[in-house]
Amino acid sequence: MIVCHNICKTYPLGAGHKRVLDNVNFAVERGDRVALLGRNGAGKSTLIKLIGGVEMPTSGQIKRHMSVSWPLGFAGGFQGSLTGYDNARFIARIYQREYSQIRDFVEDFTELGRQLKMPVKTYSSGMRARLAFALSLAIEFECYLIDEIILVGDQNFNRKCHYELLERRRDRTMILASHSTELVRELCNRAVLIHNGQATLYDDVNLAVETYANL
Amino acid sequence: MTRSGLRKLHEGWRVQVRVIHALMIRELHTRFGRENIGFLWIMVEPLLFAGLVAIMWRFMKGPEEHGIGIIAFVVTGYIPITLFRHGIARSVVVFTANGSLLYHRQIKIIDFIISRFLIEMLGGMMAYVFIASILIYFDEFPIPADIGLLIAGWMVYALFSFSLCLIIAPLSEMSDALEKFIPVTTYIMLPFSGLFTLASWLTPTMRDYLLWSPFVHGMEMMRKGIWGDQITAYYNVWNPIIASAIIAAIGLALCRRVRRTLSVE
Repeated sequence: MIVCHNICKTYPLGAGHKRVLDNVNFAVERGDRVALLGRNGAGKSTLIKLIGGVEMPTSGQIKRHMSVSWPLGFAGGFQGSLTGYDNARFIARIYQREYSQIRDFVEDFTELGRQLKMPVKTYSSGMRARLAFALSLAIEFECYLIDEIILVGDQNFNRKCHYELLERRRDRTMILASHSTELVRELCNRAVLIHNGQATLYDDVNLAVETYANL
Repeated sequence: MTRSGLRKLHEGWRVQVRVIHALMIRELHTRFGRENIGFLWIMVEPLLFAGLVAIMWRFMKGPEEHGIGIIAFVVTGYIPITLFRHGIARSVVVFTANGSLLYHRQIKIIDFIISRFLIEMLGGMMAYVFIASILIYFDEFPIPADIGLLIAGWMVYALFSFSLCLIIAPLSEMSDALEKFIPVTTYIMLPFSGLFTLASWLTPTMRDYLLWSPFVHGMEMMRKGIWGDQITAYYNVWNPIIASAIIAAIGLALCRRVRRTLSVE
């Protein structure tokens, strides 16, 4: 279970402050697939970063009662000047996993071949997405935090993600920020709609998607 | 209750050791690559700096000063100061520079400072051993009279430098102006580092002033460890230790504060 209790997050904006999240409360149960909906800049990525522990809330508390992945998104988690293999080795070290297993899985899942010997900064966003997903799947988390990135992949990648996340890891928890209402309807059983700093939890995904569409 | 607390502490410690190890390897790869001598580059800079300055002094001031070989004297002064200056320079905006790694929760911001400082420290020690071995072979450097005291001096000197890094790193995130003042400050620090003189060469009044500087105590210990009975050293090992403890406590509090507002791309 992941509990967000009275989360506020403010960022400095010019001389003043901008409150991106204002007193957000919700709980994610084990096995939930929660969609985060909201317009650009509503605070979806911020919320994902707070849940992932990348940034700290200005006030409030987040309790994680399961292992939570790092936020899988366009930025972060990688060192651009290092190769794909070096990054895999680094991840294996800090998560205390066997490098050879991680390497085999990454090679198989990403299908990047020799590109893995190149610095990550030379990768396209789709290639980065493949690497990020491969590493986090190789480590096996109980909860996956996914920030938009699922959409950048090609057909082949989407099929793989679908299989790995939705079939093989059916029991896992997922928090997914996405603008694709189609994807959200297909994947998620609950939704959190963020608007004007407020977060509302919907148990009916269709209702959440409709409300979001009318914003 | 206490037992589970201890176990938690032990587990946390193991995680941090693993993370720092991984960060150091990563840092060495990104900074030096795998080409030619690779990570051995970490000792090249202190080596060149100490070596070239020593040769310059040798020609400007002659072979000896107060009965001590000038090359050895300069080398023993410049390698520690390089550790201090590089340590500080590497701590500036280190949190932002490594921000993308904060995606992994087990990595703490302190780990960035520790891993970078350890690399500088390793480089300094390797340079020290390397240059001293060569100079001993040419009879320009005495065989250390008390290795233990030399190492202890190096450790307290490093400890104090490290505690300063703990303050510089968060302050440089809070204020952009700070960065501009660092080079000139570390330069002005030079005379207060005990680099140019032994405390016993000074007048008693000057000596009392200089001994306020924790660096001087570490430096005196190292030189006493090298020259033994040939020199008189003035030091109190508690000065740098207590100063480091106070500064580190402030630094850690600042780090904690900065972490709360740190925004990561």
